[in-house]
Amino acid sequence: MIRPWEIAALALGLAAAICGATLIGSGSLFLLCEILVIFLLAQMWNLLAGFAGQISLGHQAFVGLGAYTLFLAANETALPLWLVLALVPVAVGLVAIPLGLVMFHLKHAYFAVGMWVVAEILMQLAAKADWLGGTSGLVLRPGGNMLAGEPERVVFAIAAFCAVALMVGLRVFLRTRLGLATLALRENEAAAASAGIDVRGLHLMHFALTAAGTALAGALYYITALYISPNDAFQINWLIAMMFVTVVGGIGTLTGPALGTIILIGAREAMTAWGFTGGQYWIVMGLLAVVVLLLAPRGLWPAIAARRGATQHATTEETEA
Amino acid sequence: MAGVAAPLLQARGLTKNFGAIAATDAVDLDLNSGDSVGLIGPNGAGKSTLLALLAGDHRPSAGALTLDGTDITRLPVHARVRSGVARAAQIPQSFDRLTVRENALLPALFGAGLGRSEAEGWIAEVLALVGLTERAGMLAGALGLLDRKRLELAKAVAARPRVLLLDEIAAGLTEPEIEAIMELVLSLREGRAIVWVEHIPFALRGTCDRLMVMDKGAKTHDGAFAEVWENPELQSIYMGVSDDHSASH
Repeated sequence: MIRPWEIAALALGLAAAICGATLIGSGSLFLLCEILVIFLLAQMWNLLAGFAGQISLGHQAFVGLGAYTLFLAANETALPLWLVLALVPVAVGLVAIPLGLVMFHLKHAYFAVGMWVVAEILMQLAAKADWLGGTSGLVLRPGGNMLAGEPERVVFAIAAFCAVALMVGLRVFLRTRLGLATLALRENEAAAASAGIDVRGLHLMHFALTAAGTALAGALYYITALYISPNDAFQINWLIAMMFVTVVGGIGTLTGPALGTIILIGAREAMTAWGFTGGQYWIVMGLLAVVVLLLAPRGLWPAIAARRGATQHATTEETEA
Repeated sequence: MAGVAAPLLQARGLTKNFGAIAATDAVDLDLNSGDSVGLIGPNGAGKSTLLALLAGDHRPSAGALTLDGTDITRLPVHARVRSGVARAAQIPQSFDRLTVRENALLPALFGAGLGRSEAEGWIAEVLALVGLTERAGMLAGALGLLDRKRLELAKAVAARPRVLLLDEIAAGLTEPEIEAIMELVLSLREGRAIVWVEHIPFALRGTCDRLMVMDKGAKTHDGAFAEVWENPELQSIYMGVSDDHSASH
């Protein structure tokens, strides 16, 4: 099932996460946390859209849901922050099941846009809710006290290990029968049903799992931010980052989102250092997306892999590359 | 059709309305294990709709369907396949970016409910049966029409159905290719019921011992192949030039 080198990768990832968290300076850790969060978000969106073939334009809803759940549960109860963090994906994943059952009545583009509407509605509801701080939002005060120490160290360790575990986990998953069924779903839903696959059930599983993962990543990010507001947590920029990273990097590949994340954040850091404005950065990113999709419609990673002379045709191997 | 035992598949009054039009109109059908039924009729007679009702693509507007005495009328497609009714579609529906082997593996795992190693062994048999062993490692999207049709059949067979529905699987093929498909269908008859919709008479004559005729949504004939085939009414229905039909206008 799981191969020896994959266990080794997990062990290495754990060691790197702990070493990094203790040795790296605080300033760099914030940037690394952001990179890891973007990668986790993008990989979740990639699993849903690139592997299971279901496009959602509203997964930022789960970023906000995860973060608000964390802030509310940590502030209002005596539960330790990191325990609350562990419970966030479970809670949001469970909420996603009835949401999915309702939203699945919409198909394809209607579902995608419908999810966007869900995210906008949640943003408005959070802004209207006094018990969530309304438009001014919430400050993270676990148990009523300011957060002590350097939470970014723990956040980095968790995010770094999650990133490695997600890569290994998805590789293993794609080799299982459900993994194969997921790839079938992307290819042809009618044929998948004719093969005996419960299409709706499998879609629901992916919807809930990616909602849970997205919520965890969102919660991790807002622990380092210490502050949350509806306009920030439910903003469409989260979705744009997920889509840009996935589509430019290589949708339906495991490595693509990693490459995309490096490009998205690397270009931002470089352009900021060279004195460009945020507006100019997004113009360049937009142009980059257009150029990549014209020259390499499947994204950069598949194009690079093809150029390296990869002639193997294996499908699961290809998607794992 | 006075059955000694309960039939494998039993349809009673199976009806599908699209608006005011009854695409299939109160069709009764009994299938026993070992039956091979050719289903013919002019275009629009309701043959494909009947297969879609049996396969679960459509929910019937009225009527009931039982498999081994269990009501399966409301089962969705995937559950229908798992319970033993599989169909090879008219237009091959393959997973293009998966290999031929993976394409066939899916119905063996999910449709037939086999374990991984058992499924691998079974798939090797099925691919050998349809003549795709050498192409097992190819992507399905790279196959030609005949091989895609073979794969479509392999996927249906891989689900180990007790009722196998074939929807124009020989359409568009050359005569030697049709003969290859016929041989295949003959080898699949044992231990299951087959319903084959096809516009190619010699293909059905060579493989089916029963012939069913549909016209305007209703079943008009159902019996031993030769008997129905020789029936003078058949030609008029099939060619759409019935005497009383023209007389009534």
